[in-house]
Amino acid sequence: MSDLVKLTIDDREVEVAKGTGLVETAAAAGIEIPVFCYEPRLGPAVGACRMCLVEVEGMPKLQAGCTLTAQDGMVVHTASTSARAAEGQKGTLEFILVNHPLDCPVCDKGGECPLQDLTFRYGPGSTRMTFPKLTFDKPIPVSPLIALDRERCILCYRCTRFSSDVAEDEQLIARNRGAYSMIATFGDEPYRAPFSGNVIELCPVGALTSTQYRFEARPWEIQDVPTVCGLCPAGCNIRATTREGLVKRVQSRNHPEVDGGWLCDKGRFTFPHLRSDDRVREPLVRGTVGLEPVSWDAALDRAEELLRGAQGKIVTALSGSETTEIAYGLGVLLRRGLGAHSAVLDESTSAALDACRAPLSTIGAAELVVVVGDDEVVDRAPIVDLWLRKARRAGAEIVTIGARGSVPAPVGGAAEALRDLAAADSELGGRLRASDRAILVWSGSGGGGGARLAEAAHALGFEGKPGCAVFHLPARANARGVAEAWAAAADADEADPEPIGLLVVSGDEAAGDPSVRALAERASTVIAITMFHSLAVGWADLVLPATASLEREGTAMNLEGRVQRLRRAVTPPVPDELAWLSKLAERFGVALSPHAAVVFEELSGRIYGGLLLEQLGEHAGLPARRPYEAPEPTPLAHSPEANVPEDHFVGTLRLLRYTPLFSGHQVERVPELQFQRPEREVALSTVDADRRGIATGDLVSLRSNGTSVELRARVDARLVEGVARLADEHAAHLHADVEVVKA
Amino acid sequence: MSPTLHDEIREVVKEYPEPRSAIIPALRLAQERHGGWLPDEAFRQVAEALDVTPAYCVSIASFYDMFHTEPVGRHLVEVCTNVSCAVSGAQRVVEAFERELGVHAGETTEDGNVTLRTVECLGGCGWATVVAVDNRHHLRVQAGDVGGIVKELGE
Ligand code: SF4
Ligand code: SF4
Ligand code: FES
Ligand code: FES
Repeated sequence: MSDLVKLTIDDREVEVAKGTGLVETAAAAGIEIPVFCYEPRLGPAVGACRMCLVEVEGMPKLQAGCTLTAQDGMVVHTASTSARAAEGQKGTLEFILVNHPLDCPVCDKGGECPLQDLTFRYGPGSTRMTFPKLTFDKPIPVSPLIALDRERCILCYRCTRFSSDVAEDEQLIARNRGAYSMIATFGDEPYRAPFSGNVIELCPVGALTSTQYRFEARPWEIQDVPTVCGLCPAGCNIRATTREGLVKRVQSRNHPEVDGGWLCDKGRFTFPHLRSDDRVREPLVRGTVGLEPVSWDAALDRAEELLRGAQGKIVTALSGSETTEIAYGLGVLLRRGLGAHSAVLDESTSAALDACRAPLSTIGAAELVVVVGDDEVVDRAPIVDLWLRKARRAGAEIVTIGARGSVPAPVGGAAEALRDLAAADSELGGRLRASDRAILVWSGSGGGGGARLAEAAHALGFEGKPGCAVFHLPARANARGVAEAWAAAADADEADPEPIGLLVVSGDEAAGDPSVRALAERASTVIAITMFHSLAVGWADLVLPATASLEREGTAMNLEGRVQRLRRAVTPPVPDELAWLSKLAERFGVALSPHAAVVFEELSGRIYGGLLLEQLGEHAGLPARRPYEAPEPTPLAHSPEANVPEDHFVGTLRLLRYTPLFSGHQVERVPELQFQRPEREVALSTVDADRRGIATGDLVSLRSNGTSVELRARVDARLVEGVARLADEHAAHLHADVEVVKA
Repeated sequence: MSPTLHDEIREVVKEYPEPRSAIIPALRLAQERHGGWLPDEAFRQVAEALDVTPAYCVSIASFYDMFHTEPVGRHLVEVCTNVSCAVSGAQRVVEAFERELGVHAGETTEDGNVTLRTVECLGGCGWATVVAVDNRHHLRVQAGDVGGIVKELGE
């Protein structure tokens, strides 16, 4: 085949696809070409470190192997068969170590350090350096999350390339030149960007370290547990480093189809919430003076009493962050055991999306991507943002339709925009229809949980084209798995009970949801399953401690429709949900295993066609597309009345709330993450700001129905007219229409 | 001052395919307006005008010798110490300047009049040693010429 090339490396013949890098080619033949700066995920090789020197027959000088691709007939000698290459690498290492402090005994990288490893294998073993080495102030706080020990830096530029060429935040840079180059941010500003933590993993030495992990563990005393991030619906594959029963750090476990080996800072740095002070560590019942701890037996008695007392008039508020097994377990207990079929989940995901599903990595290869909705992709499913950037760098056109879109649309106008795309006369729709590599993304609420998106994709003929796909970004990590598991636990429909005898609140998102709180007002009793005291006080009659996703065995379905396995990284400080759910189930005469694997087996027969846990493997695959079935034509329930005020000058603006990436009950409990949270500010369009004489930085006041909030204004040139955009956490009790005036 | 710097930069941007390509002339304009060096404020202004990050501006400015990230005196004396000049006695020229001005290379005289720096090749290797005084090149400078040059700079 002409697409293959044959070459010789260290006297071994290798055949690889044309265009394969020499480093990969050698690896395919079981031969190592050592590297520091080379990292194909960062873009083209830069040849900065010269660690990869090889001898290529016919070329007079040693070559940087990482910059070469396999050529037919090429004859390559690495250090193991070429004395010159070995000498070159030795020299390179001696040079790299000229200013390196070799403080391995106190360096966090020690034991898992490429510089240590390669120096042992290829280095000179002693130094001729007798001059004083360069020293710097240390450690420099790159941010509250990342520390920099400059003298350890070998100037491979992996971190700065990540910042400029992958995350494109361009905040981490190299200052100066030559030997005086140093990694820095602007002035003493922190590296504040959604993906900053990846530079820690990329750094091949101990120059960039995690402040959370510094001096916490040594590589020979840790265990890495492969699991999946549970903080957004992307479901990045992670490994949790544990030591003595505690999670010490979270790193990527590169699933090339899902995350490409990157993580967002929320997924990476939020784990300390497991050890939060206000964690609920024992069951609590409402006594005369508030919540009082009780034994598990007493708690289960009380639970049984409340469940029986409600006489079936029970509503369950689900979070969508439970494992599929916990949701199923709740379904078994409440639906099968008590006939309580009513549940609320502030999120639905349409199964019609399955007709056009594909790995997230498909986005990276697209030529045209249309993102519809008012929310920023990075706030809903961060890793998708990196795939979009990758696509754009590779030449794709990215069109965004929404309140901050490249095609501006009124707030809540996304569903309509999709319908327009699917119409025969849409120019953009026509291009989507014609393309073999087109993607549609829905980044916002409403839209029938992706149903509108699936309809549009169907109308545009995406099903038959494997390079075309749709992605709906739900707000909750396992929204679909939870809904499907609850549905599968029994087959009966029941009307909502009135009055509500008992409200069962499952999980922190439900417990923090104002609409669930409103429901509780109408319920005579409340059981709350939550991790944190602050979410339990004031409304629950019984509080059962919840576990975190890092403490759970089970599965979750991500936004692609991929079923992935969670492994328990550490033992939770409390019995897990399935343990007590199974005990309660027994009291109501229904069988539920306390083991997630057994529960999975049962539910898998019902909803996953008998898929086995073993089949999920370390890196789960994505099931094949399913034939399209037209979704129920739900009315545009979530889409807000599109009544943008006509007269902006004296009139009101429409409040556009968004949930920032760095928010939520877990993030709030990690002090070092607080600098990532959004400023107290409201964004206004240029037109609206000008009309009110407001400039960026001005103090303004937002008023509606008797409440008012003061914050700074920011003029956002991308924002549509008639809108005031601000983070949920700053919107307090403001209503949908607000007046904005200079304070 | 800042609106005009902004306008000037936007004017230059028009000559390039994309704004960030204008980074060098933009930094130059900013440096002129900020008394010969680039304080943080200048980086913020350039960044805003080119739609890049201030950090990116710093990475470029700190790479090149002709941009200054520390305050400089009213006059700038730059002695080339690269290979050709080094072998023609650049070190003695530097020392002569240090003596005459009473500062080390890299420093500014107390009265804020002169900043002395050593720089890489100024592109005049055939006329070593090259000394740039306020960006004008003096050729074949020897230690003995230094007194005259300093005198011309006044107090
Ligand atoms: S800090 Fe680490 S990743 Fe960045 S250039 Fe230095 S060695 Fe490379
Ligand atoms: S993108 Fe989502 S799944 Fe991935 S690390 Fe971040 S929060 Fe976790
Ligand atoms: S790995 Fe090839 S030059 Fe760094
Ligand atoms: S070495 Fe001095 S001008 Fe070139």
